[in-house]
Amino acid sequence: MDKTQALLVLALALFSLGLAGVVVRRNLLVMLMSMELMLNGVNLSLVTFANQMGAAEGAVLVFLIFVVAAAEIAIAIPIVLLLARRRHTLDADAYADLKG
Amino acid sequence: MPELAAIALAPLAGFLLNGLLATRLFAHRRGHRFVTLVGCGLPIAAFALTLKAFADLAAGGYAPLSQTLYTWIAIGGVPFEVSFWFDRLTAVMALIVTGVGSLIHVYSVGYMKDDESYARYFAYLNLFLFFMLLLVLGRSLLVLFVGWEGVGLASYLLIGFWFSDPEKAAAGKKAFVVNRIGDAGFLLGMFVLYATLGTLDMDRINAAFLASPGPAVSATLVGILLFVGATGKSAQIPLYVWLPDAMAGPTPVSALIHAATMVTAGVYMVARLSGIYVNAEGASQLVAWIGVLTAFFAATIAVAQHDIKKVLAYSTVSQLGFMFLAAGVGAYGVAVFHLYTHAFFKACLFLGAGSVIHALSGEQDIRKMGGLARRIPVTFATFAVATAAIAGLPPLSGFFSKDEILWFAYASERGGSPWLFAIAALTALMTAFYMFRLLWLVFLGRSRLDHHAAAHVHESPPSMTGVLVVLAILSAAGGFLSIPHVLEPLLPLPGIVAERAGGHVPIVVLSVALGLAGLAGAWWLFGGAGERAARLDGRAQGLRRLLEGKYFVDEFYERLVGRPLVWVSEHVFLRLGDRAVIDGTLHGLAGLAQRTAALMGRVQTGHLHFYAFLALAGLVGALAWSWRHG
Amino acid sequence: MTWLLANLETILLAVFGVSALAGGVLVVVLRQPMRAAMALISTMIFLGGIYGLLGVHFIAAFQVLIYVGAVMVFMVYVIMLLDPRDPAFRRRFSPLLFPGAAVALGLAATLIRGVAPGTAPAAAPAPARGFSLAEFATAFLNQYWLHFELTSVLLLAAVIAAIAVIRVARGDHG
Repeated sequence: MDKTQALLVLALALFSLGLAGVVVRRNLLVMLMSMELMLNGVNLSLVTFANQMGAAEGAVLVFLIFVVAAAEIAIAIPIVLLLARRRHTLDADAYADLKG
Repeated sequence: MPELAAIALAPLAGFLLNGLLATRLFAHRRGHRFVTLVGCGLPIAAFALTLKAFADLAAGGYAPLSQTLYTWIAIGGVPFEVSFWFDRLTAVMALIVTGVGSLIHVYSVGYMKDDESYARYFAYLNLFLFFMLLLVLGRSLLVLFVGWEGVGLASYLLIGFWFSDPEKAAAGKKAFVVNRIGDAGFLLGMFVLYATLGTLDMDRINAAFLASPGPAVSATLVGILLFVGATGKSAQIPLYVWLPDAMAGPTPVSALIHAATMVTAGVYMVARLSGIYVNAEGASQLVAWIGVLTAFFAATIAVAQHDIKKVLAYSTVSQLGFMFLAAGVGAYGVAVFHLYTHAFFKACLFLGAGSVIHALSGEQDIRKMGGLARRIPVTFATFAVATAAIAGLPPLSGFFSKDEILWFAYASERGGSPWLFAIAALTALMTAFYMFRLLWLVFLGRSRLDHHAAAHVHESPPSMTGVLVVLAILSAAGGFLSIPHVLEPLLPLPGIVAERAGGHVPIVVLSVALGLAGLAGAWWLFGGAGERAARLDGRAQGLRRLLEGKYFVDEFYERLVGRPLVWVSEHVFLRLGDRAVIDGTLHGLAGLAQRTAALMGRVQTGHLHFYAFLALAGLVGALAWSWRHG
Repeated sequence: MTWLLANLETILLAVFGVSALAGGVLVVVLRQPMRAAMALISTMIFLGGIYGLLGVHFIAAFQVLIYVGAVMVFMVYVIMLLDPRDPAFRRRFSPLLFPGAAVALGLAATLIRGVAPGTAPAAAPAPARGFSLAEFATAFLNQYWLHFELTSVLLLAAVIAAIAVIRVARGDHG
């Protein structure tokens, strides 16, 4: 297993961990953090590929992902605050209003 | 190119102008003059155009004129053309339709002037005239049928003209439904004709049936099928029940549609297709017998009716029976002759009745009339002339036509028989009797008006009485124009059975005697205070009830057809067909969809975790699949 | 010692990688959100270290600046604002713990199986030094300037959305 492969395995592990966190954790904030973890996994894989190929495009993409992450968190956090104030809980299972 | 189409299109223009513009554009009062001008002007224009066409016809030595407007449809190279045909018979019919029609339009101006749907009324009336002219002028049976259905529509619209009264709306519906039954037969006849001959042009049909060898179809079958249509439109047994109810419409409508023109369409059709009936002995016999029986039974009913318009309605049914009797014994020209005289005197009678009703502010029960002769003299005079005409007193028009019918019913070599003659003569007697009874009860004798009505009795305006006078003159003098003679080159009269040839003079005498006997009988019974009639009434209660109840035919039809139909509709079509099968299928499918959706809807728990889990599982599944198949 | 120095980069990479993975596991496992946040911050910093070792220093700097400096600080502030008595702070896992964990393991296995055969293309250009900041800047401002500008639109939209959410929270729906 060379360096690139190891880094990719790390990236995939982080991504899977993040996805698992979204599914298994109850707290909305922790679910958000798990999503950040997923993004970080993706970033790592992009940087790894960019490094391997010697191309700058991967890094550009990473940069854009930073921006997206910032925007995402800027909206998500107020929503979390709003939910906490309205229902006094961040338990994701408490929000089942879209039940079909 | 003769402008035949213009005759029919003039009233259509009137319908469009009045129907589209006048009812929308003008306020009620302001549009009044416009409506009158259009509504009466265009029928009169149609009359003028008909006269012009007649002049052309005469100038051309009576060679039929024809005009093809356009090809409606072409099926397999056979074009169905909208084309018009103008020969002697058409000329007579078109002149009656446009002439009497125009007079009744003019009469309507006074009669309907206070109605809030004045424009709608004239629009419908013009529409009727358009379809009637289409019926009369059509060369093809198909065009005739369009007109045939169209006049049915106009009739329906005008019977139910005051549709806010459910009874009147129902009368319109009844007319429509009963006519549909007849139309089914008519359509079948058309199919048979087209299937055999490959054409529906009536001149060609006649030629094909008159040629030898004739076409490979039974003339009797076609004749009977077409006659079924005629029994519906011309109110013969067994489909006559709609016509008395049709009196719910405005009285001028009854005069125009349900006396003078539309109901005679069946007679016209039989005369027009005489080529078929000449060769169809069985069908002709049926026509004659249906005609004479209808005439007889309708006359007996008319004797006991109390509504002035109902009496006239049954009288119309009866007179139509006479026309079919004539057609059935092969005297088509005579049938058209009676159609022609009947148009005058029956229109005059109906319009006179309208004038009476107008004078009495809507009263129609003759038991509440009497002694009106001095109060409304013009109406009385014209009504009396028309009554004498229908009773067959010489030298009025009815005398000539009825006498000829009786003569041919007796002596025609195409099915004339003493039996037909006997029943027809008896009917003629009753006709005279019930008409003079009507005259007496309405105009003569003691006044039975209530005070309120008596105070308001007034003669109708000149626009109405003028029309009455014109029609009375025509009823009186119309008989001197011998229509059978005019039509003879087109519709030859049947030969006379040799051993009965000497009977003509006795029959003329008898027919006059019958008219006078009817007059005398009515005078004797209803003259003075009418106590003889009351005594007779007391002695024949059962008969009176039977006649008043119109032989309970409506009730019989209700039992025989109406209720089983309702039962079948309710139990078979509604409960089984509609609710169980159709609704059941749809509800079943809907239920299936609903249950499936409910099942699928379980997935939509609203729990974020579950959705994320599904996404995760899906991702794994997709990846695993692509790994395996990549 | 010389061996250590010669392989310092690899060793550091391994240490950072293992630490980042451990931080990730802790994020998912720890009960308290604050601790999870700390674990996530540590993961991010270790990842930043990995980026630095790979030679993309500016990405490493952004990782620390944006993620740790902005995003996570924001997150930590929010955690401090929240009510710790919330049951969501005490009950760690959702009802889907076991199926979720199992399928996530499956995902990891599937993904890693995908890279296991080796990723290096046969004739990769593979310049060992990766790429420089100059190359990145050129690509960024020559080719991807439009994307860069569009991010500003995205950020503006995010700002407006955040303001809208706050107004909803206040209860005035103007």
